[in-house]
Amino acid sequence: MKSSEIRRDKKVLTERMTLADILLLAALVTISISGFVFIKEAFPQGTDVRIEVNGKLAYRLPLNTNTTITVKGIIGNTMVEIKNKKVRITESPCLNKICIHTGWIDRGAVVCIPNRVTVFVDRSEGKENKAIDAITG
Amino acid sequence: MIKKLKVQSSKLKILCFIFLLFTVHCSLFTVSACSPQKEKIYRKSKALMDTLITISAVSGSGDKAEKAIDRAFSEIEKLDSLLNFFSDNSELSEINRNAGLKAVAVSPETFEVIEKAIYASGKTSGAFDITIGSVTTLWDFHKRVKPEDKQIKERLPLVNYKNVILNKKSSSVYLKKRGMLIDLGGIAKGYAADKAVEALKREGIKSGLVAVSGEIKAFGLKPDSKPWKIGIRNPRAKNKEDEIMATIEMTGMAISTSGDYERYFIIEGKRYHHILNPKTGYPSDGCRSVSIIAKDGSVTDSFSTGIFVLGAEKGIKLLEEMGIDGIIIGKNGKIHTTPNLREKLEIIRDSQRQKSTD
Repeated sequence: MKSSEIRRDKKVLTERMTLADILLLAALVTISISGFVFIKEAFPQGTDVRIEVNGKLAYRLPLNTNTTITVKGIIGNTMVEIKNKKVRITESPCLNKICIHTGWIDRGAVVCIPNRVTVFVDRSEGKENKAIDAITG
Repeated sequence: MIKKLKVQSSKLKILCFIFLLFTVHCSLFTVSACSPQKEKIYRKSKALMDTLITISAVSGSGDKAEKAIDRAFSEIEKLDSLLNFFSDNSELSEINRNAGLKAVAVSPETFEVIEKAIYASGKTSGAFDITIGSVTTLWDFHKRVKPEDKQIKERLPLVNYKNVILNKKSSSVYLKKRGMLIDLGGIAKGYAADKAVEALKREGIKSGLVAVSGEIKAFGLKPDSKPWKIGIRNPRAKNKEDEIMATIEMTGMAISTSGDYERYFIIEGKRYHHILNPKTGYPSDGCRSVSIIAKDGSVTDSFSTGIFVLGAEKGIKLLEEMGIDGIIIGKNGKIHTTPNLREKLEIIRDSQRQKSTD
């Protein structure tokens, strides 16, 4: 009994729908979906700091956080500092300290080969990235 | 009209609605970047061969690009395990351990890269020489270790590419003298870029770029139908804005740079850097930086080192003879280029760069 009532209600609903209703509904659905697409295109995900140890992802943080984290590498702890949308390695157990000398970066990567720690700044395709694809030297 | 429609069956309305939605979605997907046909650059970086390697592939499919890039990386990993100077398990270490003892049978890759290195040695009259290994190990550019002159003189007789005996038939390598050491640091990365590009192409990638540190090889065009744009580092950069000295657009080519600014230390105003002259065992002071552009990464990598040692004048002459392009920054910052390259090269901040002396 009950299920047949529901069916009848449904029938009434669709029968009362005019062409204008259909158009309105289609328009609403279109607007909501295009909103999703628009936001995805216009505001690409914020820049991320990606920290890998031995090729495996260890941390992923937004670049606009101010923080210092300790990353456990294969020979010890590497300290990574994120500040004012820049990243640097402040402490490292390696001998040559090339990673520390690299200093602040706001794109590209800073690597500590001995400790197998790589810090990437994944800039979403900005103007700078489009200008030059790679650097030799 | 509307009244008439109203009495029509509800099925028709639902069909009509679904059809509308369908068309709207289709049109949305073709305009948006989510469209599967649109090509994008996919990029991945890894720390391998004691450096940072970035591989880019242009593809309409992220999965396809990622698979191809991973294949290219595993190719480089394989080469790293064969050619690593510091790993006891590499084929290279096996060759070095058996110096003066016996010939060592090696894989086709190891044989090929040594063969290419010997070719570069011949062309540069020994200015590029992979047997420099026994002298290189005396220096440490991170710990600022400068060896005694006596130590260097003792090792110099062990440096001579002519004492590397290659046997193609048995794919074997023999070092004639006990204590000789091959170091492929001046060619392996360029060779790896070649092999990675081959791997990308095998996976059906039509356009891409492999950057093994500064050894770069590009092929095909970017999604905007332009060639790849490469920046050449300023050997005496003062800050980030000053980092790039010149740019060049290229495709189907490789480029490498050797510079005295990569690994060095300064004692009493004298710069000691990692590019050693095989004849003297000391850092070569003919140039500040040399960039070479050629079809193969193994050629650009080895010749950039060799021509650095030869110096600007001899270097440009050799490049012209061989029909290879290059840009050389001389001792005092003067730019020398092969005639072909002049129009292709875009030089930035020339005045600023000229002023700096060291």
